[in-house]
Amino acid sequence: MSDFGFHLAFWSLAAMTIGGASMIMISRNLIHAVIWLVISMLGIAGLYLTLSADFIAVVQVLIYVGAISVLMLFAIMLTPRAERDNSQTAVRTPAAIVVILVLISTMWVVVDTDWGPARDGALSEQARLIGESLIRHYILPFEIGAILLTAALVGAIALARQDDEDAAIHADSLQRELDGESDLDPADVVDPPLAADVEANS
Amino acid sequence: MSALADLSSVLGAWYDLRDLNNLQRLITEWIAEWGPDWIASIVTGVLGALAVLGVIGPTLLILIWTERKVIARFQQRYGPNRVGPKGLLQPVADAVKLILKEELAPRAADKLIFFLPPVLIFIPGILIWGVLPFGPQMSVADLNVGVLFLLAVSGTAVLVIFMAGWSSNNKYALFGAMRAVAMSISYEVPMVLALLTLVVFSGTMSINGIVQWQQQEDVIFILLFPLSAVAFFFAASAELNRTPADISEAESEIVAGYHTEYSGMRFGLFYAVELGNTLVVSAFIATFFLGGWWLWGLDQWVPSWMILLAKTGAVYFLLIWTRGTLPRLRIDQLMSFCWKALVPATLLFVVVAFVERTLILSEGWDTTFALPIMAVFNIALTLGAVMLFARVARPAPLRKPARIRLTSDGIGGLRAARELADRRDAPQIQVGGD
Repeated sequence: MSDFGFHLAFWSLAAMTIGGASMIMISRNLIHAVIWLVISMLGIAGLYLTLSADFIAVVQVLIYVGAISVLMLFAIMLTPRAERDNSQTAVRTPAAIVVILVLISTMWVVVDTDWGPARDGALSEQARLIGESLIRHYILPFEIGAILLTAALVGAIALARQDDEDAAIHADSLQRELDGESDLDPADVVDPPLAADVEANS
Repeated sequence: MSALADLSSVLGAWYDLRDLNNLQRLITEWIAEWGPDWIASIVTGVLGALAVLGVIGPTLLILIWTERKVIARFQQRYGPNRVGPKGLLQPVADAVKLILKEELAPRAADKLIFFLPPVLIFIPGILIWGVLPFGPQMSVADLNVGVLFLLAVSGTAVLVIFMAGWSSNNKYALFGAMRAVAMSISYEVPMVLALLTLVVFSGTMSINGIVQWQQQEDVIFILLFPLSAVAFFFAASAELNRTPADISEAESEIVAGYHTEYSGMRFGLFYAVELGNTLVVSAFIATFFLGGWWLWGLDQWVPSWMILLAKTGAVYFLLIWTRGTLPRLRIDQLMSFCWKALVPATLLFVVVAFVERTLILSEGWDTTFALPIMAVFNIALTLGAVMLFARVARPAPLRKPARIRLTSDGIGGLRAARELADRRDAPQIQVGGD
């Protein structure tokens, strides 16, 4: 890969990442913000590719673009008043403080790191290397991560589950429905009566 | 002996059609003589992309006709037979009609996001072809994380579908998009688990590596892991929005799903990509589970890409078959089938693959004897699992919905009006005539 091609790729991908990230702040519609976030994520994946880290690049697309953003869209769609203006938020000041702190610490790391060319060049078979080090050297953090995710999964199921009482009523009505004796009167469901109907009837 | 020597001079030459990579290598070497290497990489990239586009463009036109004709046969009718001989020009006529149609956009649509999806949906649709191995050295990019690349790229299509459904500002489009997203993130799980079985067992994430493993061990993966193959087939057909699982564009429920508001060629682009995805998924099923370009030595004599195309055609026919014969499932049936049947079953086979791989690697079992035994064991386990599901774990059929649904006979119509009137004790009002 020539030097020119590499520079072109780096600067255009960096512009894509930072431009997308700035548009997240500027756009006032939450869905637009998520789409800009996806563009920014894709730029980061491209940057990983220019660093010959194809495994991480692909995983970035798989997890952030394919899963996290879809999850965000789901959360936005299921939230009442998600259509509201993006700037109306009560936590603006704390959020700004947190972001500034994160930025300062990241910049600290950036300045502190000794940026030199990599000595060994690109690794081949990265997936195998990452897998082996996860299983051998970093088995404890790996397992903690796995337990955390499982706990999150169980917690989500527990939150989304019907109450026992509710489930019992539902099962009862289901059983009666199967037995052929419905206790659900169709008229009960039409409630409350429409104002126009009441007017027409009286 | 001399015949063999003659043959070996042909092997690897540019006119050796069994592997079109030879021709491409010739071009690359010729460019390397006079130009910088980045021209070579650009030229090979463009050649690969043009080859992919050149294959799928005409193939799609033929496939539209094939699919309609085959489905017509399944449903005992003739299918398209008016335009051209045997109706062969029908896809061309359809395309011309779609291009000439007016393209409308709803006034309340989110304009930019509304215009983008028909274009964006092409990107994953084309990119997926890049990692498909047509021969031993014949793929646009033989990544060593090919399986992950396939999953990553196919996962982004969901986002485009969501953009289409949301920006239309139409409740049916949004319903379709939400269904597509929900179904896609659910069915990705058994799909990943089915592929994980293969990755664990063959020890490589390169797609060509998986094919070469099958060639080396003289076995195709559908014999070793039949349940993973079936699960992958069903999950893929759900991701493709094809009829047993096309609830995201179910025309009897939600008009046309996420592309309700797309008219003319914009709809045509969605349709084309869907067909193209069907083709590429058939190709990947053939690659992963049926040995891809390899067929017990036949690939020495027949061009390997022809073998792959033949297998792809067979899988595609199976997809049309399921589409033509099976009724559409309800969304809750699809979801519960995914989470309660496919995910545990594929997970079981991931564990089985781990154990069997360990037996081969650590215990030193000889693959020539071990693989047939494992195949028999896995097939028996698959049959047992399916029988168990059919006998015991199958959800009880509901003759009537337990809760009254939106359009049940309880609400709306004369009966509802009459019951409303009864409930309000208003005998003087006669609603409808008895």
